[in-house]
Amino acid sequence: MESQSHVNPIFPWWAGGLAIGIVLIVAVALVQPIGVSTQYVVLDGVLLHQVLPSFVEQTPYLEETTEGWTLATYEFFFALGIPIGAFLSALATNRFSTRVVPREWARRFGMMSGRRLVWSFIGGFILLFGARFGGGCTSGHMISGVSQLAVSSLVFSSTLFGSAIVTARWLYGDWGGRR
Amino acid sequence: MKLMLGLVLGMLFGAALQLSGASSHTKIIQALRLKDLTIIKLILAAIGVGLIGVHLLDLLGLAHMKVKDLFLPGMAVAGLIFGVGFAVTGYCPGTALAAAAEGKVDAWFAVLGGLCGALVFAIMFPDLEAFLFSVGRYGPVTIHHSLGMQGIILAVPLGGLFLWLAAKLPGTGGG
Repeated sequence: MESQSHVNPIFPWWAGGLAIGIVLIVAVALVQPIGVSTQYVVLDGVLLHQVLPSFVEQTPYLEETTEGWTLATYEFFFALGIPIGAFLSALATNRFSTRVVPREWARRFGMMSGRRLVWSFIGGFILLFGARFGGGCTSGHMISGVSQLAVSSLVFSSTLFGSAIVTARWLYGDWGGRR
Repeated sequence: MKLMLGLVLGMLFGAALQLSGASSHTKIIQALRLKDLTIIKLILAAIGVGLIGVHLLDLLGLAHMKVKDLFLPGMAVAGLIFGVGFAVTGYCPGTALAAAAEGKVDAWFAVLGGLCGALVFAIMFPDLEAFLFSVGRYGPVTIHHSLGMQGIILAVPLGGLFLWLAAKLPGTGGG
């Protein structure tokens, strides 16, 4: 389980918001708005192209998303930078810790690792299916899209938060039935 | 050069997510349960800064905008699906990468699940395309263009509102 020190942020909300906002502004000034979820498709396409090239070439969405079956793109390197930056800052602030079951989950569903890992996998599956359906995720739609006043991103972000709040409150037993 | 720029910006983004607690399952779930709104304040602040900065660049002709197409009801359905996944795993596609790198094993499974979900979407795309694109396809609509005004005129008050909301919402232990 996470101890409190690993949960407590180093940055207050305004510093984190400012930092993310500045990354977005620099990205928009130099290249394009930020985004992550497309790179899951790109990694799928490039990896599968190594093992099953004929299957991948018959899947038009993979072919269109992955330009030239390469990971050497600005967009992929941006996504690659995220875990590197997170790893280094967790190390630097002495907040790197290994755990399987997060605290909130353990409190509600117990410490069984298998159960948490299966549900995290299922959640990730639904998450990326939804992200590709909508053409973006929290960074691409919510932060980049709403900042550009895009109507599609406002629709996506509104229904996203609505369904996430309802699901979380139901899942974590905030409406009666608390165990 | 461009690759290095991508890597550096990604690293800064990942560091910001990590240091502000956005990659923490606990912080995300407490925000979605409306117990601790720190992450909501963070997102509102990021969008508030982004709105003003991006539209200032646009006014100066320096912005590389990229607005996603609107399609209804497909976009609303996509958000609903994403929200369920977000609550179940407690990570989003970017923060899962950050949490995975901090040693959170469940985030590795969220990333693996995400790779599978993205692949299934890619395979189903020819069938979904009819549902997605046949009805209610409006293209890259923005509020300011549809009102026929400069983005900055809306972005400054709206960005200010987001920043004000971010400051006013209760944080840790406040509600």
